[in-house]
Amino acid sequence: MRVTQSMLSNNMLRNLSTSYNKMGKLQEQLSSGKKVNRPSDDPVVVMKGMGYRMQVDKVATYQKNLGEVNNWLDSSDDALDGVGQVLHRAKELVTNAANTGTMTPEDREKIKIELEQLQKQIQDLANTKVGDKYIFSGTMTDKPLYENGTYPQLNSDPTNQATSLTGYEKDVEIEVFDGVSLKVNTTAGKMFKEINELFEGIKNNTDDTYDFSEAIEKIDGHMEAVLTARADIGARSNRAELMNNRLEMQEGAAKKQQSENEDIDYEKVITEMLTHESIHRAALSVGARIIQPSLVDFLR
Amino acid sequence: MRSTFMGLETNKRGLFTQQSGLYTTGHNISNANTLGYSRQRVNMQATAGFPGVGLNTPTMPGFLGTGVEAGSIQRIRDGFVDHQFRQESNKLGYWESRSKAIGQMEDVLAEPSAYGLQQSLSEFWSSLQTLAANPENGGARAVVVQRGEAVADSFNYMHKSLTEIQTNLGKEIGVSTKDINSMLEQIADLNRQISQVEPNGYMPNDLYDARDILLDELSSYIPIETSYEKSGGRALAIAEGTVTVSLKMKTGQAIELVKGKEFGEIQPDPTILIDPTTKGNVAITGMTIRSANAAAATPYAHSAFLDAGKLKSLVDSYGYTDGNATKGLYPDMIAELNKMAAAFANEMNKVHTSGTDLHGNKGTNFFDAKIPGDAFTAGNIVVNEQLKKDPNLLAASNSPIGSAEVGNGKNAKKLADLQFNGLTELGGSTIQTYYSGVIGELGVNGQQAERLTFNTTTLLGAVSHRRDSISSVSLDEEMTDMIKFQQAYNASARMITVVDETLDKIINGMGVVGR
Repeated sequence: MRVTQSMLSNNMLRNLSTSYNKMGKLQEQLSSGKKVNRPSDDPVVVMKGMGYRMQVDKVATYQKNLGEVNNWLDSSDDALDGVGQVLHRAKELVTNAANTGTMTPEDREKIKIELEQLQKQIQDLANTKVGDKYIFSGTMTDKPLYENGTYPQLNSDPTNQATSLTGYEKDVEIEVFDGVSLKVNTTAGKMFKEINELFEGIKNNTDDTYDFSEAIEKIDGHMEAVLTARADIGARSNRAELMNNRLEMQEGAAKKQQSENEDIDYEKVITEMLTHESIHRAALSVGARIIQPSLVDFLR
Repeated sequence: MRSTFMGLETNKRGLFTQQSGLYTTGHNISNANTLGYSRQRVNMQATAGFPGVGLNTPTMPGFLGTGVEAGSIQRIRDGFVDHQFRQESNKLGYWESRSKAIGQMEDVLAEPSAYGLQQSLSEFWSSLQTLAANPENGGARAVVVQRGEAVADSFNYMHKSLTEIQTNLGKEIGVSTKDINSMLEQIADLNRQISQVEPNGYMPNDLYDARDILLDELSSYIPIETSYEKSGGRALAIAEGTVTVSLKMKTGQAIELVKGKEFGEIQPDPTILIDPTTKGNVAITGMTIRSANAAAATPYAHSAFLDAGKLKSLVDSYGYTDGNATKGLYPDMIAELNKMAAAFANEMNKVHTSGTDLHGNKGTNFFDAKIPGDAFTAGNIVVNEQLKKDPNLLAASNSPIGSAEVGNGKNAKKLADLQFNGLTELGGSTIQTYYSGVIGELGVNGQQAERLTFNTTTLLGAVSHRRDSISSVSLDEEMTDMIKFQQAYNASARMITVVDETLDKIINGMGVVGR
């Protein structure tokens, strides 16, 4: 084949531009850390990458939700612990008051005063807030359970059988995985209301005619209910914990898959870059050598 | 009887001919870097011998040569390689333009990245999840509205950008047809000049070169076929004649665009690609072609054209009508986005209106069309103005109408779960999987276009290399030729000296015997 100067220079230009192209691609990969930067680089990687991204985002959202779940459950548990302690103290007081023989009216008055304080504390606990939410108000989280000296009317009251549950008795659920929701609140409206009524009863009847044993029995019943509720919360906490572990595993897996799918292998790309660099240098110096001399230089 | 001065004449011819060789060499060297220049060669031929042939030709032993003359000056060129070059060039024109169009589309869609639709959708779903967990939180509500706006904005932006690029493609179609028509005219004009020069026995090499450059360029726009017709008169046998340029159609039909000094015209159909009332882009139905010599133009459907050349590729990207449907790279993508936006907005509205807002009222539409009542498209989807003003109108709750439940986030959860719901409008896919499908398809198309661009570039490079190997100027070769012609010139001059000396002998040395 006949080879001319213009062919050589065209060839050299073409080679250099191919080489620059390759280096540009590698540079893009190195600076972004990603194998692909546009769909046409590798459609499969991009499609898979979009899926993994979604997975990672989703897991992050659920993890955020789980934080919220723990917040609710821990606060509910703390509050119910407080209720338990109040009930415990109330039981002591009522047991004392039941000693009909030894109690002076002054003693009863003191018990009454303390019971009043305990009642207030129960009311305070019923209005426990996490952030700006009343956690025992069902889905009416902006309203305190005990407001203006009364508890709200509930559907579970025997006297008020409406067809549907009131907001105060509804579950608050938070999603922790696709289609998996955890109930985070404890619907304790009825319990708080009954405890309040009980205190009211004891306070108003401090003479010997009052059936203290029945009151103690009721207190025991409530203590039992508190324990049951706390056990329930504990069980839900366990579930949340389990979910958390699962999410962490998923997060790891999704991130790993994502990374394997689209991240570059730095060692490999840098090595490739160096290889290309030396090829490019060679191309440049060869070009410089080849283009220069022609017969013109030697004819005199 | 030979002439006394025959030797002088013979060598004078030698001088002149070698000189024209030298000048041609000079011309070649001067044009070594001229685009489209083909090196030229002087076809030297021996002049008729002495004595000439005839009845009363004197008999003498053998013919006596009378020297050399420049028969013609010819371009060194291979028509077959030109044919190959043009074939590859119109493939490259097609794929290069397509690859560019897809590249622009990829730039607009910006996937995978932190700025694409996928990201804004993902953030939107995530904000709905947060709302589901904190329905009473005004901040969470505001964020949902903001993210909703971001999704709507993404759709709007993509729709607008794609439409703008499409409009630019339309303009490029206009410019391309103008280019093509101008080239056809120029080729016809060159034909005219050539047909005037050739009958006089000349070789208009520079005109041939100019015509070949035009043909090369034309072939990147449309698939062409060329044939040549000899000029009459005293045209040399190696003269190329006028070119007939035909457009190759899918059916194998060839439409003559240039014939002799006549040329045709290509116009897109319709000629105005932007609808004056809607300001929208109008799909192309095909091309109207007036062939050379013809008075009237004939319309051809887009499907009648071969998948080759930049013009076809531009129309494929811009959009064309196939039956009643509009197809093409950009219309297809815009249609996909419209479909997604509509499915997304309708489903969101359906679930949102089934919920209850913070005040216990029935949920309103989450998304609205820019002009109320219009069907949703990617271009007109916006977040409901009322929601933007008052995020408390977000129907996060599923409480019965009339009873407000601030802490009820069940409907927000349902909205968030739309992420995983297959939508019948999208053939059962979720928005995100549908979108990644669309992106995947774009990627595959882009990859194919890029690969074919690369392949045809390589092929064209190879053909062009071969063409250069035949036609381009080699300085070394010209230098060698220069020496060759120079020496031949010198030798002819020396021959003249010899003849001079012999004549000197005759004229001055003879007839002085005994002096």
